[in-house]
Amino acid sequence: MKTIICRHCDMVSHVPNMPSGYVAKCIRCESVIYKNSWCSPSGMLALCLAALIIIVPAFYFPLISIHLLGITEGTNLLQGALMMIDNAPVVAFVVLFCAVIAPTLLISSIALSSACLTFNYHPAYLPKILKITYILKHWSMLEVYMVSLMVAIFKLMNYADLYFGVGFYFFIALLLLNLTIISNYSNHSYWERYINE
Amino acid sequence: MNRIAIAGKTGIKQGLQLCKICGNYSLQVEHPTECPICLNEISQRKKNSLQKTWAFLITSIIFIFPANLYPITYLLKNNTLYPDTIFSGILSLVDSDMPGIALIVFVASIVVPFLKIIALAVIAFSVQNHWNLNPKKQLWAFYLIDWIGKWSILDLFVISIMVAVFDKGHLLSVYPGIAATSFTVVVLTTLFAANNFDTRLIWDAQTDE
Ligand SMILES: [Zn+2]
Ligand SMILES: [Zn+2]
Repeated sequence: MKTIICRHCDMVSHVPNMPSGYVAKCIRCESVIYKNSWCSPSGMLALCLAALIIIVPAFYFPLISIHLLGITEGTNLLQGALMMIDNAPVVAFVVLFCAVIAPTLLISSIALSSACLTFNYHPAYLPKILKITYILKHWSMLEVYMVSLMVAIFKLMNYADLYFGVGFYFFIALLLLNLTIISNYSNHSYWERYINE
Repeated sequence: MNRIAIAGKTGIKQGLQLCKICGNYSLQVEHPTECPICLNEISQRKKNSLQKTWAFLITSIIFIFPANLYPITYLLKNNTLYPDTIFSGILSLVDSDMPGIALIVFVASIVVPFLKIIALAVIAFSVQNHWNLNPKKQLWAFYLIDWIGKWSILDLFVISIMVAVFDKGHLLSVYPGIAATSFTVVVLTTLFAANNFDTRLIWDAQTDE
């Protein structure tokens, strides 16, 4: 039987053959050590491509529109970070990285590795892509951005009339796709496929 | 190439080391520094894990003071600047009858950073001094702070949205203050501190085994 070393406590556990959608937990610390995702690389590729298509309108179209003194103007996700570059470059960069760059790169890198595994193509840069995916997972913060948007809307309601823009609905779709992708992606099983095929 | 690991014993006792990136293990004597599968650098435990964790924690403790004492935003209204610290911003949310939103911001900007620093410091101390706290509880505490840690960035996102929206209004404008940068440093250093901590040390420090 296959064995796995727990990355959280170093204990060795057996991994039984599991139906898809099940996870195996460490015998000592009960962390998840193995995921048998129901989603194959080809399914993952479809999800990532859908997310990459949606990401463009979600970032480009206005998330909220403000109505002030008879003028209606919209604000999109990118403007927020870019406008702070002069006053607070560090803040602007971190916001840009966690809300825009990391999610985009993460989805692109999963798309790329899924495409390679789907079409049985093993380029030399594939291990690098898998490593980047592993690191970027910590830095994609779309769900935090969603809650922040809600907080900002409540704060802004004191000053002006607000409307949800087109970008908002794309952003919600992106958020749901992103959650599905991240919860089903398993770095370990991608490595296994890479080594065994 | 690989000896099969025996379940129920730790990897380190069997001379095996795990590659955190690809999840495969190999014999430490045969492949001391490089994972034979993915060719990434490996070690039995994260190198200098505690020192790095402490360095980031101490930096975050230093920066948490300016982050809370100086204004995080300036509101320009009728040619007058109104500064707001994290805390005064929360108070004004309470004043404008939004206790729920005030609570969200309070938890994300004040509770989470402080809790994260304190919890990480306690876990690191307990590992160094062999306090033999329940390892499972320490690990779950670590998971919790690791997961809630990224929520502390919430206020920075809110500021970025406010800055952009108000720029469109022409009546009012919002600028980030010095504390915004300090707070960013706190968020980053606490994230790095958690990322550098090796949870396997919690079990290594248990002396009764
Ligand atoms: Zn474990
Ligand atoms: Zn490896």
